[in-house]
Amino acid sequence: MWNPYVPLGASQRRTLSLVGVVSVLISWSLLSGLGLVGPAKLPAPWDVGGALVRLSWDVGRGESPLLIATLWSTSRVLVAGMLVIVIGVPAGVAMGASPKIDAIFSPLIDPFRSAPIVAVLPILVMWLGIGELMKITFLFLGAVVYLVPMVRDAVRSVPHTYFTSARDLGATELEAVRLSLLPMAMPRIADAITVAVSVMWTYITVAEYINAERGLGQLIQNARRFSAMDQVFAGIFVIIALALITYSAMVALRRRVFHWETT
Amino acid sequence: MTVSIHLDDIVQEYPRPGGGLNRVIDELTLHIDAPEIVMLLGPSGCGKSTLLRMMGGMRPYGVQTPTSGSVSIDGEPCLGPHDDTVMVFQQYANRPDLTVRSNISFPFRLGLWRRRVPVAEQRRRVDRILEAVGLADKAELRPWQLSGGQNQRVALARALVLKPRILLMDEPFGALDAQTREEMQALLVELFQENPCAVVFVTHDVTEALLLADRVVVLSAGPAKVVDDFLIPEARPRSHAWQRSTATLALEERILGHLHASGGPGQVRVTV
Ligand SMILES: Nc1ncnc2c1ncn2[C@@H]1O[C@H](COP(=O)(O)OP(=O)(O)O)[C@@H](O)[C@H]1O
Ligand SMILES: [Mg+2]
Repeated sequence: MWNPYVPLGASQRRTLSLVGVVSVLISWSLLSGLGLVGPAKLPAPWDVGGALVRLSWDVGRGESPLLIATLWSTSRVLVAGMLVIVIGVPAGVAMGASPKIDAIFSPLIDPFRSAPIVAVLPILVMWLGIGELMKITFLFLGAVVYLVPMVRDAVRSVPHTYFTSARDLGATELEAVRLSLLPMAMPRIADAITVAVSVMWTYITVAEYINAERGLGQLIQNARRFSAMDQVFAGIFVIIALALITYSAMVALRRRVFHWETT
Repeated sequence: MTVSIHLDDIVQEYPRPGGGLNRVIDELTLHIDAPEIVMLLGPSGCGKSTLLRMMGGMRPYGVQTPTSGSVSIDGEPCLGPHDDTVMVFQQYANRPDLTVRSNISFPFRLGLWRRRVPVAEQRRRVDRILEAVGLADKAELRPWQLSGGQNQRVALARALVLKPRILLMDEPFGALDAQTREEMQALLVELFQENPCAVVFVTHDVTEALLLADRVVVLSAGPAKVVDDFLIPEARPRSHAWQRSTATLALEERILGHLHASGGPGQVRVTV
């Protein structure tokens, strides 16, 4: 009988998820194998696999183009991620703790959550050129507009008794924020950081299309230019895999560090 | 130790939702001049918590408290939060992310108490109070691994570790089951004897009042005034025989009479 509140057993869940993935793979293989869709539009799964192998090791140059591109993209996400955390978390906490600060900054940040940040890219190029500064700034802006409101809401959702009881004990306002609100909001702040990093993985290709110099975005862009659809797909899969790995690692880390929160 | 809390001609009015003013407390005067346990009773909604927060200097936002009259502690007007009082509520607000020990020593992370109590003394006090409330073996657990009674002990320990001169308790044991409540009452008596301070304890439990009080203050409702104020000289802990004596039962009737006169039954409790 259907009941949305009864969780599936781990093995049943895995089986069902596998069924989904496998059926997509089979349909895809059929489409390509039977020649229903040409390789220029949809490369066969085995061709994508082949492209992955070829990208993993370039015999001629004696290096791994995929690894180099991955390292470049990862470093960009890492640098922008650090900036997002160092700037966005304190900003969000300040907005969550002070309605006045929130009133000043919310109208400047909230609209950008729904605004097409990609449309800002040409402006950034005009201002900052096409180098690393522009790429990092773009990633930073794209993620920080998600992170700040989430951090603000995380701080606001802490039950006010924790704030008041700290104040009752003689905490200054700053101490009540730092020692009560902040630690209690940490699990949801960690969620916000996870979302921000996921957002950056979706934006990384956009940032790297411009000037197409190193990185997974460049790899995809170049492949597209030479109509190597198998390589385009290979690049996309690598990005998805990286995003998934980062995501699960962060979720696992959050569960370990904030195990008190689940109860 | 000397301590004094003077409430003089306290009037408290709150705005009514529809407009106009609701006079909750009317020219109430109450003086506490010794380290004693004052049990404060009154019909529900009569303004007991309001009074307690006034003594603690915790004022609600957007309302002036008191509307008129004065609160002074040790002769000084009490205008805002001050360091001599600590409050304990029914809702214990223990932090789920901190261990029992860290919950109890939490105040020592605040500048105010860090400056006042040297580190060695802090540690000594936390160890001592953990023993006293019987949680020494649970020091590294977290609040959600404890029962309601144990959680209330953590809250009490967090207040007492500061050795406050004034302890304000707002129905702290109201949510506990009968047996746990008795344990907590015994614990409070024990800790009070070790470290006497002025305790103002709000309760709606007449039995609890008679068991703990040096002094019983009964308020009327709508608006609140002091309708009775008497001492109970019997030494603590108080025996079951004393609790069942005719003199004690008469006191119980006396309190219930006041409460029924102004609040109606059903809002007070007698536990035996
Ligand atoms: N901040 C406030 N604003 C308006 N009315 C209040 C406020 N605080 C308390 N009251 C009202 O004052 C009365 C007394 O409240 P309270 O002191 O909590 O009573 P008690 O603790 O005796 O049950 C209640 O009728 C309550 O609704
Ligand atoms: Mg109350």
